[in-house]
Amino acid sequence: MDETALLENYLAVGALLFGLGMVGFFSRRNMIVMFLSVEMMLQGVSVSLVAWSRYHNDWGGQMLVIFILTVAACEAAIGLVLMITLFQRSGSLDIAVWQRLREDNLPPHVDREVPELPDESRPEWPHLTPAGVEPAPDLEEVTHRSHV
Amino acid sequence: MTGLEPTAVVLGIATLLGALGLWLMLPGGGAASRVVGALLATITVVLIFSQLPGFLSTAEIDPDDPDETQAMQLAELQRQNLINNTVFFVLAGITVAAAAATVTFRSPVYCAIWFALSLLGTAGLFLFQGAQFLGVATIVVYAGAILVTFLFVLMLAQPRGFAIYDRLSWERLLSAVTGALMVGILTLTVAGAFRTPPRWRIPLNAGEGEVAQAKPLQGLKPPADVDLRPERILAAEHVAHLGAQLFSRHLISIEVAGTLLLVALVGSIAIAAQAKPLTSPAGRRGPGADRDG
Repeated sequence: MDETALLENYLAVGALLFGLGMVGFFSRRNMIVMFLSVEMMLQGVSVSLVAWSRYHNDWGGQMLVIFILTVAACEAAIGLVLMITLFQRSGSLDIAVWQRLREDNLPPHVDREVPELPDESRPEWPHLTPAGVEPAPDLEEVTHRSHV
Repeated sequence: MTGLEPTAVVLGIATLLGALGLWLMLPGGGAASRVVGALLATITVVLIFSQLPGFLSTAEIDPDDPDETQAMQLAELQRQNLINNTVFFVLAGITVAAAAATVTFRSPVYCAIWFALSLLGTAGLFLFQGAQFLGVATIVVYAGAILVTFLFVLMLAQPRGFAIYDRLSWERLLSAVTGALMVGILTLTVAGAFRTPPRWRIPLNAGEGEVAQAKPLQGLKPPADVDLRPERILAAEHVAHLGAQLFSRHLISIEVAGTLLLVALVGSIAIAAQAKPLTSPAGRRGPGADRDG
């Protein structure tokens, strides 16, 4: 296969991974999913770098990917610790809780209120219909003793 | 240029469809809209892939006047090309589909599982590119990361995606449009940039003499100390070469990376030790405060 064709294919896959990760980071509100999206953006960049490395027959791209792995590990450590801290303070993984984060002497700046859940997408819990009547306790069964 | 090129038109349509599909797929819509969104996103990926070289086509090799042995060689070459292309597009399809599922599934458990599948696809792409060490390292490193993420999901998240923040997204439309535009611009650049013959290229199976003849043009010079023979990247002793390169030319970077890891370790422990839950009842909502949401 042509070398250029190889490069083009892998660059397109890298772009798709990067774009999907970006959409996830922008739109999701769960901190864990945001973290996964950032990792996915790094994966997209890694795919592109490996393709360039192959194209130029140079080790530089693969070296960069090794260092990207290192930095991703550091980022994971710090990110997960921050997540734990924020969860301990708010009791929720929702990133929207923290949009009022500010210094004490600054006025609050809120972009937009947190959107409420529309009624139709609220989870439906099953509820049982009451059936029958409560049976009267059988006196003999209650007082029955198998061993005297 | 008199009009729009067909590639640009197809990629533009793919961008539009991708934005629409992502908008429908992101959490916040109903089940029917997610199915439609998945369909649109699949069409988008197929459209983008259809603009890549090698999609649903054999090699474009037409010799002038092939005799018998040449024809046989040609058939063999085409067969290899077909296998290569099939493997690549299957791997790429799995990777991208799993990535889309990671972003759009509501339950964080499923997100982590799909992310693991996407990583496996990426590792396969690395292996297919000849980057053996990176393929294995990705799996090894991210296996631990995925396990830790699972642990976090089990500890902290709502198990079945019933939390309000898993069922709603920020600015669904805007972020979908942004991502689709980004992908559209990138793929257009890629498609446009490589239609012209590249300035500096060495054939895959070039010998010593051909490498010496392949002259870099217009300022794109290889560094003098880089050996450009193809077997450097696609060697049998790939990992040995990689290690030698890593610990000779990039030695200081290795030291810096080690220091960075140490600093991150110390920093994360410091942050974790400093964190205390708020004790005042006003500030603390408690771990189960949103369980009824």
